Amino acid sequence: MSPTDTSATARLRLAAEEAFAEEIAALCAADDRPRPPNWRMSPQAVVTYLMGGSLPSGAAISPKYIGDRRLMEIAVATLATDRALLLLGVPGTAKSWVSEHLAAAICGTSRLTVQGTAGTSEEAIRYGWNYALLLAKGPSRDAVVASPVMRAMERGQIARVEELTRIPSETQDSFITILSEKTLPIPELNDEVPARKGFNLIATANNRDRGVNELSSALKRRFNTVVLPPPDTIEAEIAIVESRVAALGRAFEIPAQPPGADEIRRVVTIFRELREGVTADGKAKVKQPSGTLSTAEAISVVGNGLALAAHFGDGRLAVRDLVSGIGGAVVKDPVQDAIVWREYLETVVKERPDWSDFYRAAREIG
Amino acid sequence: MAEIRIFGIRHHGPGSARSLRAALDGFTPDCLLIEGPPEAEPLLPLAADPGMSPPVALLVYRPDRPRSCAFFPCAGFSPEWVALRHGLAAGIPVRFIDLPQAVRLADGFPPGPRPPEAAAADAAAEPAIERPDPAAAMRRDPLGELAQAAGHADGERWWDALVESRGGEAGDVFGAIAEAMTALREAEPEGAEPEDAAREAQMRAGIRRAARDGFARIAVVCGGWHVPALLRHDARGQAAADTAILKGLPKAKVAAAWAPWSYPRLAASSGYRAGVLSPEWYDTLWNHEGRVAARWLARAAALLRAADLDASPASVIEATRLAEALAGFRGRAQPALEDLDEAALATLCFADPAPMALIRRKLVIGERLGATLPRSAGTPVEVDFEAQCRRLRLKPGAEAGEITLDLRKETDLARSRFLNRLRLLDIPWGTPRHARGRGTFREAWALAWQPDWVVELVAASADGGTVAEAAAERVRAKARGATWMAELAALIGTLLDADLAAASGDVIRALDARAAVSADVFDLMEALPPLAELARYGSVRASDTAPVLALVRGLLPRAAAGLVAACQSLDDAAAAAAKTRIVAVSGAVALQEDPDLTSVSRDALRALADQEHVHGRVVGRAVRLLHEGGALTDAEASDHLRRALSRATGALAAAAWIEGFLEDSGTTLIHGRGLLALIDSWLCGLSQETFAELLPLVRRTFATLAPAERRVIGEALARPEGAGAGDGLPGATFDAARAERVLPILRLLLGPEPAAWEKTSEATA
Repeated sequence: MSPTDTSATARLRLAAEEAFAEEIAALCAADDRPRPPNWRMSPQAVVTYLMGGSLPSGAAISPKYIGDRRLMEIAVATLATDRALLLLGVPGTAKSWVSEHLAAAICGTSRLTVQGTAGTSEEAIRYGWNYALLLAKGPSRDAVVASPVMRAMERGQIARVEELTRIPSETQDSFITILSEKTLPIPELNDEVPARKGFNLIATANNRDRGVNELSSALKRRFNTVVLPPPDTIEAEIAIVESRVAALGRAFEIPAQPPGADEIRRVVTIFRELREGVTADGKAKVKQPSGTLSTAEAISVVGNGLALAAHFGDGRLAVRDLVSGIGGAVVKDPVQDAIVWREYLETVVKERPDWSDFYRAAREIG
Repeated sequence: MAEIRIFGIRHHGPGSARSLRAALDGFTPDCLLIEGPPEAEPLLPLAADPGMSPPVALLVYRPDRPRSCAFFPCAGFSPEWVALRHGLAAGIPVRFIDLPQAVRLADGFPPGPRPPEAAAADAAAEPAIERPDPAAAMRRDPLGELAQAAGHADGERWWDALVESRGGEAGDVFGAIAEAMTALREAEPEGAEPEDAAREAQMRAGIRRAARDGFARIAVVCGGWHVPALLRHDARGQAAADTAILKGLPKAKVAAAWAPWSYPRLAASSGYRAGVLSPEWYDTLWNHEGRVAARWLARAAALLRAADLDASPASVIEATRLAEALAGFRGRAQPALEDLDEAALATLCFADPAPMALIRRKLVIGERLGATLPRSAGTPVEVDFEAQCRRLRLKPGAEAGEITLDLRKETDLARSRFLNRLRLLDIPWGTPRHARGRGTFREAWALAWQPDWVVELVAASADGGTVAEAAAERVRAKARGATWMAELAALIGTLLDADLAAASGDVIRALDARAAVSADVFDLMEALPPLAELARYGSVRASDTAPVLALVRGLLPRAAAGLVAACQSLDDAAAAAAKTRIVAVSGAVALQEDPDLTSVSRDALRALADQEHVHGRVVGRAVRLLHEGGALTDAEASDHLRRALSRATGALAAAAWIEGFLEDSGTTLIHGRGLLALIDSWLCGLSQETFAELLPLVRRTFATLAPAERRVIGEALARPEGAGAGDGLPGATFDAARAERVLPILRLLLGPEPAAWEKTSEATA
């Protein structure tokens, strides 16, 4: 493999539409229900793509979202009625993941993305100028540099906005015209870019720090809101971690055996107990650390453990490989969280007879 | 031969009601038989009256034991109600053919090994009998179970789809239901439920009787579950078998009445086992055939706007579109409640669950309250209740509210008494908002009516003919059962509030009698303070408190006589309790400003103060009470202090004594300089060793004072004139002429009752 290899196999991470191209093709082929204009498959097929299932042809569709089917139905129905969709949730509840897969299934690309930051400007949402051309030839459509949103409008595709509430309020306002008029005026050219049928917007926002740049009610009104909750049950969360760790293991070519179900259960249990502030049996209270301890972090802890096991261990995921990762995920504030973690180890972990190896390893490292 | 059609319905199902209405219009029966208690038949014509507004319930009860009762609620969308109204409008005989409640409420029914309390509970929950096994779920909501088997969450929607998809003749639907129920019941063993077996036998007999009476077109309306059993009404040998089942069943005397009902009570969440999940939604479905989604969402938006939340008409449009998209998505012709609920959450509420709770309460369950005709009220107490409500302009309603009463006004005083009487009848319609403060003439009540309190009203008839009589009788019964004098004393308070003079005489006599034989001085002492308070302030409510005062005069000497004996051998906890009671009684005595009572109390305390072996906490407090009351001079109190804290006493006892003497004394130490001077001179007079020995004890007690109090005391001691500089403000003398000037204002504040304030002013002067 040469250093300039840009083929799919060399890429660190594939976009949803590439990674699941076969599933999308199979769904499109099998789909006989009516499709909204410019959609590649029917709304029902989109839900199947997200929730998993099997097709008459025998092709299996892997579940992308493990959770309440009704939430996905609301999300897809929202997009089908050309309302913009706002996915809310605490960090690590698969908001971006769902948004990416929705866009991939509906219009075949998840790449028309605006990453919201405090520095996101109006140009990133509307359009910018190619200044060389502007100076040389004056204002013209050729000199306009289209934003992902503008391109989505021109093509009738789904645009994605990540972390909408991190975008400054005055920049957020640019979305109001786009969403209500479904057109993007270019006053400099006395022209506009009307949205083609099929254009829509999926925004994600973190509702833990919702207050960063709270949406104006005018903008909020233009979205249907769906809250993605943390996984309901420990079983659902274990399933998520297992499937994602397996996928990551393949992507990073980690030469380790897949982790045992027991280890994953232990990680997920610790995360859930600290997140909810109560032990799994509901009998004892636990102090909560400052971090969110999302499912996504649990995935990365297990992935990290696998890498440690593969490169520095015997290839089998051992307790030691997990302990440092968990400690790092829990202790975000070096003073307060360290106390929380120590207390959890001493009061909860130590009391569990079959967790003694974990306790010893944590004591050694911590 | 009569044509007999059996319509299996779903209780409280609007879809069911709609197809039943169509079927009855088509069938034009000349006799209508409904699954319901035959005792209620004389009341049925009232259902046609425009003054009857559902939801209402038929109440069947045993007059000898009104709490044994059964309710049969009907909403406007209940098929039974629709059938009843149809029959009354068409002028045809309507009969209730279920097993008489006389049997179902009788002792020893149903036959078989069932605990009696289970039987009583079941009787109230027509027609469902809940057991935690799948068969029970099947019996409770057979259509719902079928719907779930077919993959629908909501039996009602499944039913609608069934009706709508079939179109054509509605009778087909009932045929299909009969088939489905037959299949469901095939697996059931014969006679598994003795109660159901008897009910179905009775209903079959009712059908045969109607046929014998010569009706040509008989319509039978019953729960879907019973259809297969009722279809066998003319099977060979069935008549004889039914007679055998019904033979020898026990019977009780019962009475029936209409009672107003409410949607929250109809909802399954209220614990009504044949309840539905969403009465208000069913109401909307029943009253508006098309465009239900837009109507419901528009109401939701109006509700949110009324609560100051943003909900624009544009959002309603979007919510409707989303609901319709979701319905289409899930293969429904029009949005079901779950689609609307989700659409409202995503669009109108921005996924915030708090406003959704409001929508669910008002638009899913609803707050509608039914009304019955005044003359349909049955028992004397109910009649009296309604008359009082009219007179006092209080309206039983589901909407909770708050009223403030000015007890100086005739009507308000009567209202307060009425609410208090109802509380004695276990009808807490009004809840007092503030602790009893008799110094004020305002009384706030939170009102919230529960329709099933009708049962309590009916039950009250066993105790008397009016609300007042029944309440008085209840209190007498409680007084007879009371074991503690404190309970009796509390009862007297409620009686005065409820103005039940006759009963209060009885309770006072009971209290007096018990006090005479009781050996428990502390119980007696606990009863005293509330009584003393009543005697002092009760006149505010224009109640006669003379008997209470007499009672206090009788009780105090008894308590005083036993006090020293009762205070022997107390442990720490008991001593603390005894001290609390002594303080409370002393306060109560001070309140009376009666020289006789005061001297009785002083003598008792003096006797206690001289005790050597009583717990220090009690003795110490007694000494302080005497000192504060002026019964002990500074010098005498100082002697007590020295004696109690002398080295021979022992540290533990000394600590208890000083704790009793000084606890809760912060204010006294600051403002009444006498005590502080006393302590100060005692401390200063101690020898160095004794001081070192006692210092921890004093510190320990002073530590219980609030920091601010300690600071003020320290500042007072640090001032040059020292602690003993005299009592109160220098040169403060009482000027009667100036004090007189505030009396007109006090009269305004305290009300026109001369006795109450003049007594006060005399004492002050």
